[in-house]
Amino acid sequence: MSNETKSNPSGLLSWLDHRYPLISTWNHHIGQYYAPKNFNFWYFFGALALLVLVNQFVTGIWLTMSYKPDALEAFNSVEYIMRDVNWGWLIRYLHSTGASAFFIVVYLHMMRGLLYGSYKEPRELVWIIGMLLFFVLMAEAFMGYLLPWGQMSYWGAQVIISLFGAIPVIGPDLATWVKGDYVISDVTLNRFFALHVIALPIVLIILVFMHIVALHQVGSNNPDGVEIKKYKNEKGLPLDGITFHPYYSVKDSMGVVFFMFFFAVVVFYMPDGGGYFLEAPNFEPANPLKTPAHIAPVWYFTPFYAILRAIPDKLMGVMAMGASIGILFTMPWLDRCKVKSIRYRGVSYKVLLAMFVVSFVVLGWSGTQPATPETTKLARIFTATYFLFFIILPYTSAREKTKPVPERLT
Amino acid sequence: MNFLNSLQKLKITVFISLALIAVPTVQASSHSGPELEIAGNNISNQASLRHGAELFGKKCMTCHSVKYMRYNRIAKDLGWTNEEVLKAMGKTKNRAVDTLKGGMSDSVAKMVFHTKIPDLSLMARLKGPDYIYSFLRGFEVNKETGKMDNKFLPGTKMPNIMPRPKDEAGMAKYNEDTRDLVNFLEYVSEPSKLQRHALGWKVLLFLFIMFIFAYLLKREYWKDIKH
Amino acid sequence: MSIEIHEVNVTRRKVLTAATGVMGAAGATFLAVPFVSSWQPNERAKAAGAPVDVDISKMKPGQMLTIAWRGKPIWVVRRTPEMLAMLPKLNDDVKDPFSNSSKQPAYAKNEFRSTKAEYFVVIGICTHLGCSPLYRPAVGSDDMVKNWRGGFFCPCHGSSFDLAGRVFPDVPAPTNLVVPPYNYLSATSIRIGENPKAGKA
Repeated sequence: MSNETKSNPSGLLSWLDHRYPLISTWNHHIGQYYAPKNFNFWYFFGALALLVLVNQFVTGIWLTMSYKPDALEAFNSVEYIMRDVNWGWLIRYLHSTGASAFFIVVYLHMMRGLLYGSYKEPRELVWIIGMLLFFVLMAEAFMGYLLPWGQMSYWGAQVIISLFGAIPVIGPDLATWVKGDYVISDVTLNRFFALHVIALPIVLIILVFMHIVALHQVGSNNPDGVEIKKYKNEKGLPLDGITFHPYYSVKDSMGVVFFMFFFAVVVFYMPDGGGYFLEAPNFEPANPLKTPAHIAPVWYFTPFYAILRAIPDKLMGVMAMGASIGILFTMPWLDRCKVKSIRYRGVSYKVLLAMFVVSFVVLGWSGTQPATPETTKLARIFTATYFLFFIILPYTSAREKTKPVPERLT
Repeated sequence: MNFLNSLQKLKITVFISLALIAVPTVQASSHSGPELEIAGNNISNQASLRHGAELFGKKCMTCHSVKYMRYNRIAKDLGWTNEEVLKAMGKTKNRAVDTLKGGMSDSVAKMVFHTKIPDLSLMARLKGPDYIYSFLRGFEVNKETGKMDNKFLPGTKMPNIMPRPKDEAGMAKYNEDTRDLVNFLEYVSEPSKLQRHALGWKVLLFLFIMFIFAYLLKREYWKDIKH
Repeated sequence: MSIEIHEVNVTRRKVLTAATGVMGAAGATFLAVPFVSSWQPNERAKAAGAPVDVDISKMKPGQMLTIAWRGKPIWVVRRTPEMLAMLPKLNDDVKDPFSNSSKQPAYAKNEFRSTKAEYFVVIGICTHLGCSPLYRPAVGSDDMVKNWRGGFFCPCHGSSFDLAGRVFPDVPAPTNLVVPPYNYLSATSIRIGENPKAGKA
């Protein structure tokens, strides 16, 4: 492509650009941002996560216009949205489906990182900021789930907040402090609402901004795990890079429409998500005196919840659950293999990663099931293999028999 | 290359579709006890919904409410006028904008049944239509106590409002009545379901056509890229 | 660079970009519909705004009742024969004597601005900026200006109206007070917020 310099802008654009770095920002992040030319299917999920974030913001703002964070009115106001508010049902389903879609997209986005070594040098910070995003997103989702004030909302929050109680010495006081009452009550609902609609969304926006800035500082990884900045032309542009716009803007648009199709299938034809996205017991108002027969967190928390349940000790269980998320932060240092992409890595990593993914999925499934001796046994085995991945990885990755990595993108 | 690309896309599409279909659904009711009868109701059957509404207004609303539902909404969704819905449900003293209030107050219920009467707005989403269907038809004499009881909810205070007929001829009507009543309850549990089914396919069609354009545009620009 | 120099079909590219853009814009417009219309009064608001019935059997001549309908004050005034006699005389003094540029149902577009001359039904909101005027029916009321001929006076910006809600000139209010839809259920009961059924007055 002839790298034509943009002709001097005129009129309003020029006026604006003198006062605000409009063109340079556009060029730095979109117009002249060079991305590897070989992105595949896995590289859609970042853009899709952004799309879902926007969806959650817009629908969320609209929901707050009719929702009431009041223990006596919350459940009623959700049904008011579902029945009386014009199009309220659609806005609510876009939001509830968006919550699950967010995790589907984010899990796949993280999987991409594990496949192609996107957390490795020089992208450690991109990964860590991303993990922080994931952590805040879980808090955001957890607090949002209390708001409909159904039985699952109530008892799910009860169980998770009780986890704080397991912390030695300060635990019980901490749990009470979080609730602001001796039980989950109107006070808890009100503060969760504030955090869900104001505080955490602001944190999410800041982190998303940092995630992208950090990424654009070092440049995108790719399925070959080869740095495109190594080979540049006489103008200093990466030989294997293409500008984000128009090439990836048109490609991502295609991905967005593709995603929206499946999203719409769920919104219009299965908003309950088979009982996983909206759980049946949540159609009964919260009752502090009666626990539903079987409570399980929403599906996206179940892998971690299964780890919690697998450990027969309250404190250890909470610690294991915390560790299962926390350990992911250290991936850039646990994985000592210099080769990034799984395409050129040794068998050991492929086997380990497969084991990890299977563990995650099985744990997720077992977390949705009632605790029986069989599911507990299963959860224990796969909790072990989940952590085994992180324990074995530093040894095997340092000694991995890798394939030769190409100099340029294939 | 293009062919390969499309093939890969097809694979992905098929994979996602299968994944969507294959996801095992959680039983609406975490129900343990005798096996449920299948209601086999269909909320797009307007005649059945109307019949269910009539029965519900005249029988169930002696006690039960559907507090989130308004008569005029039922009228709109079931193709009635506001006057017709009140007449059909036997509630001509109400206004069409009113919600469906039960005939028995909480205090009276406490005296008569020693319990609260559940609101039925969301019962079908909570327990599933099959459960309600089975429950309605599940009254029988308990062999131990010799009293009328319900095998799906033993000890229920609810009287057997729709007794099972003895003869074949009555059975057909009985099946229809219970099914239509359940159908109506499923409808009131989520009245927007009718709209979302009606709108959904149009949205999907739009997105499908838009995808074709987005795909062609992407392919056009990507002709620039040498692999 | 991996970007090949080749013949680009500019027309095709432009057409596809435009087509996708148009579809995207159409999609965004469709998507905006639910969000925009969710601000419209919903079923609950409409239920609260349902017609209100007023019993007028106990009203004395000259008395005014104020009822809330859709959160607005609705006045019902039982006008005396003297009040009614006064109205035609004011035709030359008010701004819009025949209510040609004011809002009222067709059945209230007459010299008394009501279905039955005796009972005047009107929305008690000044057409200027929405304050609720005061009822001063007596000619020469103490707290009113000299030559007060009986009517309504808005304390916010000084607009004044006669007893048919017709605005006097040289005040800020642009039009006569608005008459809501209403009908007589019986000789002693008025339903506010609903037009008379066809065939009935």
